[in-house]
Amino acid sequence: MSDQAITAWMASKRRVFPLALILSALVLLVSVSAAVSVGAVTVPTRVVWGVIADNLLPGIITPDWSPGRDAIVWDLRLPRALLAAMVGAGLAMVGATLQAVTRNPLADPHLLGISSGGAFGAIVALLHTGLILGALTVPFFAFLGALVATGLVLGVARVARASSADRLVLAGVAVSFIVMAAANVMIFLGDPRATQTVVFWMLGGLGLAQWSHLIYPLGVLLVCGAWFRWRAHDLDAMTVGDETAATLGIAVARFRLEVFVAGALVTGVMVAFSGVIGFVGLMIPHIVRMAVGGSYARVLPVSALFGAVFLVWCDILARTIRAPEELPIGIVTGLIGGVFFVWLLGRRI
Amino acid sequence: MKYLTLAACIMATSPAVAQDYPVTVQSCDRAVTFDAAPQRAVSNDVAITEMMLVLGLRDQMVGHTGISGWSKVDETLRADIAALPELAPKSPTREVLIGADADFLFAGWNYGLRVGSELTPDTLAPYGIAVYELTESCAHIMEKGKASLEDMYADILNLGRIFGVTERAEAMVTAWRAEVAALTADVAAEDRPRVFVYDSGEDQPFTAGRYAMPTALIEAAGGTNIMDTFEKSWATVAWEEVIAQDPEVILIVNYGDVTAAQKRDFMMNNPAFADLQAVREDNFVTLDYVEAVPGPRNIGAIATLAAAFADARQ
Repeated sequence: MSDQAITAWMASKRRVFPLALILSALVLLVSVSAAVSVGAVTVPTRVVWGVIADNLLPGIITPDWSPGRDAIVWDLRLPRALLAAMVGAGLAMVGATLQAVTRNPLADPHLLGISSGGAFGAIVALLHTGLILGALTVPFFAFLGALVATGLVLGVARVARASSADRLVLAGVAVSFIVMAAANVMIFLGDPRATQTVVFWMLGGLGLAQWSHLIYPLGVLLVCGAWFRWRAHDLDAMTVGDETAATLGIAVARFRLEVFVAGALVTGVMVAFSGVIGFVGLMIPHIVRMAVGGSYARVLPVSALFGAVFLVWCDILARTIRAPEELPIGIVTGLIGGVFFVWLLGRRI
Repeated sequence: MKYLTLAACIMATSPAVAQDYPVTVQSCDRAVTFDAAPQRAVSNDVAITEMMLVLGLRDQMVGHTGISGWSKVDETLRADIAALPELAPKSPTREVLIGADADFLFAGWNYGLRVGSELTPDTLAPYGIAVYELTESCAHIMEKGKASLEDMYADILNLGRIFGVTERAEAMVTAWRAEVAALTADVAAEDRPRVFVYDSGEDQPFTAGRYAMPTALIEAAGGTNIMDTFEKSWATVAWEEVIAQDPEVILIVNYGDVTAAQKRDFMMNNPAFADLQAVREDNFVTLDYVEAVPGPRNIGAIATLAAAFADARQ
């Protein structure tokens, strides 16, 4: 490509950006509406919107539906759709940032031991301690596990003097294996019939979503998302190379660890409430780059929206394919997402 | 089925009694209070559903779950539940239960209820669905003694209180106790065959431990489960352990894709088991899943086992 062609290509990607942003925000809204409208139990559209209107603005209409219908739409489906959107947004953003700072296209939120740590914590709660802290037990243990795993990765990175991106990834993979082995020991010691719970948890699921818990993913998403967006230009520099970033005045090793810790925080919270959901963090950023180019000021917000839309639809499918049974959402993300990505690769090359 | 006929007679003759509410029953580690008998009950899994049906509670139910998804429907049951809709082939989701306007769920830990899943007493409480947990399954979430027939009797009696059919439940349990006592009256205490419960698995057997119902059934029928000190409910053990215990009778639990005959062939044809007394003497006995988990068919299961143990002694 000539310089001119590259400039034109980049300009076209810039032009696509506002369109992609508005369009995906609209699609997200439509997707959440679809998610509250479908499920194992048929609730008429009129009732769905009546329930939502009644809960947002009490007194505006007189409910003529049963409390059960209200609970299904307002207490089960809506928080679940919102959780799906937040988890999708969070994982996609973390994937994008980790791919920048490690310059590894295969980096994703689960690569660096965070999810294994979360799984370990969840397994301890599910199979051994029981729900000692009530409904927040599993999320709390999973988050604790993710934090410990993150600490271990940082410790190993220090011991191994992992200032380069590759060595950080290797440290993460090593810790991931160790923690997963420990988690498997806990599974082995647990009751075999209860391990089905663990399998389901490890494949991801949003069935436990509830309003009072949404504040945690939302909070971490807003804070870390804003920080990522603030450092977007530094992320751009990191994708080029450590030397380039250093000449631009970035403390490379330190910045990489900061991004890693912020990513661990987001992933830890998301994993705590949704289980381990693959594919989103790995592939959504690549799809987004194909659409809007590689600049992180564009990649981050669009990744968040694409990730949110993608996961909301995966959850809709997970709930409806074999209704009234629910498939673990990780199966759907892997299958649909993988096939879609193969198709996309075929088109572009 | 003798005990079913017996139950039917009791139902026909016992007068309806007005019972005083509220009643409080113990369900695992919770005390659950009912202000009135549930009117829209759901039961999960096959033997649990039969406990409801044997008490004549079909009219207070809106459906059952978790039976056909595991291929556990047999002819007897199919007739019994014909009029009762299946809400979900496997475990129900909350949406399914709320959508059916259920007010009561009878299930057990790892019989539908799973720790940390969306189906627990805590997650259903906000929607007005009271949960009664299968007593045998309490071992999964709390300290509990060895599985016992009393666990099943307790469930029937508690259901009787919850639904206001106490007399019916008490009469049924009394009759069952007498039946079991008659079945095992002539078993000498020192003459208890060692029994191995073979559920499934070829590289490692899946078996019933201390907290699983077969231990209680074997004991009631005059035998001993060789794994009755194994502090698990259902779990995997090593074949070596089985060989070391040299069982005299092998109890096959029949369900799933591998038939009882295939399980027996596997045990008979593997040279490692050739010296087991049960294999040498071809002492196999089969119980269906629905007979081996807590439920009204336990009484028939004990009769089957007692007969098999008597054969093994000769």
